[in-house]
Amino acid sequence: MASAGSGDEKAAAAAMITLISSDNEKFEVTEATATLSQTIRHMIEDGCTDGGVPLPNVTSKILARVIEYCKKHATAAAGEEGSSSSFSDAAFLEVDRAFLEELEEFDDAFLEVDRATLFDLILAANYLDIKGLLNLTCQKVADSVKGKTPEQIREMYNIVNDLTPEEEAEIRRETQWAFE
Amino acid sequence: MGLLGLQRLMSLQGDRQQYRRQIVARNGSIASVNKRKGSPCLHDGDGDSQAGKILGCSIPDLPEDIWRHIHSLMPLRDAARAACLSHAFLYSWRCHPNLIFNEDELSSKTHANKQNFNDTIDRILTNHSGIGVKILNFELDGIAYHNLDKWLQVAVTPGIEELTVMLCRFKIQYKFPCSLLSEGIRNSIKFLELGFCIFHPTAELGTLRSLTCLCLFHVHIEGNELECLLSNSPVLEQLDLSHCDKIICLKIPCVLQQLNYLKAVACRRLRVIENQAPNLSSLYFSGNVIGETSQVKNLSINRSKGVCYARVELPSIMPNLETLGIRSGDEGVNTPMLPTKFMYLKHINIFVKSGTTSPPYDYLSLVSFLDASPSLETLILDVSQERMEHHESVLGHSSHWRQMDEHHCSLKSVKIIGFSSAKSLVELTCYILKIAISLESLTLDTLYGFRCSDENYNRCLCMGKRILSEAPRAVTAVRMYIEDKVPSGVKLTVVEPCSRCHAVPVGA
Repeated sequence: MASAGSGDEKAAAAAMITLISSDNEKFEVTEATATLSQTIRHMIEDGCTDGGVPLPNVTSKILARVIEYCKKHATAAAGEEGSSSSFSDAAFLEVDRAFLEELEEFDDAFLEVDRATLFDLILAANYLDIKGLLNLTCQKVADSVKGKTPEQIREMYNIVNDLTPEEEAEIRRETQWAFE
Repeated sequence: MGLLGLQRLMSLQGDRQQYRRQIVARNGSIASVNKRKGSPCLHDGDGDSQAGKILGCSIPDLPEDIWRHIHSLMPLRDAARAACLSHAFLYSWRCHPNLIFNEDELSSKTHANKQNFNDTIDRILTNHSGIGVKILNFELDGIAYHNLDKWLQVAVTPGIEELTVMLCRFKIQYKFPCSLLSEGIRNSIKFLELGFCIFHPTAELGTLRSLTCLCLFHVHIEGNELECLLSNSPVLEQLDLSHCDKIICLKIPCVLQQLNYLKAVACRRLRVIENQAPNLSSLYFSGNVIGETSQVKNLSINRSKGVCYARVELPSIMPNLETLGIRSGDEGVNTPMLPTKFMYLKHINIFVKSGTTSPPYDYLSLVSFLDASPSLETLILDVSQERMEHHESVLGHSSHWRQMDEHHCSLKSVKIIGFSSAKSLVELTCYILKIAISLESLTLDTLYGFRCSDENYNRCLCMGKRILSEAPRAVTAVRMYIEDKVPSGVKLTVVEPCSRCHAVPVGA
């Protein structure tokens, strides 16, 4: 978006988008925040955001969380564009670590939700095509199975075992090393 | 391959194209491509949404492609166990996109025997469909790899984005098969990293259309072979070479319009880098560079008399420098005062050892850089060395202080590591305090290296006796000659030896 990158703060401030949740709640967000979602970015590019963007798959509770994430990370993205140094190897400059740490802390706190909310966030991130949020939330699920047995994982996530006992025995033999 | 594996593989073949489109890069979204109804890896058939309700919880179902994505984010060991969950997870395991084989991934608490790693890798790859691999990483130091050719054949397939082959550090005998890089692979591969290999790319190799990053570590490759490869890598952005001892002259062709980062270090026979890439902005090397260097903004060099070289040569060949790192193990000559300027230089980091010449390196001659750099904001100077007896100490001498012309500079932050009582170093510090009218902080570390107060360290780096006996003298020099010259707005930090880790034995 030209307005977001132009540095013309007035133009950027003027570009507000209205998002409408499945339960008809309206959220006003800046274009910079909204365009973390590729889905919304495409809608803006196609000029079909007048009168608000209806998001029939996302409840107001989840949308509020998603917007919270996007606001924080939109600021981070703007900060990254501002810094010119990409000389990672030299590492002689004190990079603004504090900011990155703060972002990490935000992400950690953001993920402190129950499993149902986490799954709703995953579905919303997938629907809205927000890469960072999708990876963050999926990684949380991936990390949650660390060291767990297949039985434990199935129970955690209601996964039905459709393997025959013979099939399961064979795949267990094949992946024996992972159980040691 | 077992019957089960074969069946799954056969049913996969038809899905090949479809699946490839579905799995996207590590950071990619899996949104909406080939989305399927329902959630077959959670439940079979129509009754799937019932399961959650029966169990009394309301966890929504995730589509199969999201579960695949989650599965792909698991480390190898967890991902292998998850293969036993259901048909869908087994299917997903057969196409696991991130295959990272190293000691961390393969060893467990009870099973750290590297001898078995070869069998484990072999079993995983024998049963892998080869479909959908995005990242393939072999770090096989100490792990047998006589089947490596076969493994590569299985897993290096069109669509692969990252390939790393790091072998045993003691013997460079494995010849990386260039024939592996077929057209489909050349179209998709973005990142190629080879270590302890022999690599002989030829002009017939063809274009690597997506390769953005090439790293070669202890690789036997000739300069002309590398040039061939580079000419065939039009979108290369980053080239990282170290310990490639067969290269004498490194020619960077002008087709590399996007190359912005070049590192060539510890290549013992490398004499000269001839650069024609127009947009090179970060350069890290030890040697000489000729050709197009006017766009270089970040430079790090490591060579003897590097400080003098930088001051004399760089203003004309790299007029746009913003960040400069110099490592000079044997400086020997003082830095000359010259009329040339570094107009855009903001940050400078100098590690200098004065060598054993007599008279020793004059730290005050570094004023030449301050004088030449009107935009300089940060100076980090590392002068730590075990022996400083060549230097005249400021303590106990009444020799005169030298007068310099005073040109104001814009330095904001100065850190001197290995600060000692060497007279020329104290003079430099006092001079900086006079001319740096915007100075915010001055840090004088009488030692070097990590401290027990740093994160991740529980003790300070061990110091030699000479450094530890010099440190109190350095502190005295600060008290006597520097402290009273620090303006009120400047934060002075003096880092002294640690009372716990650096306690000097009585009588030492």
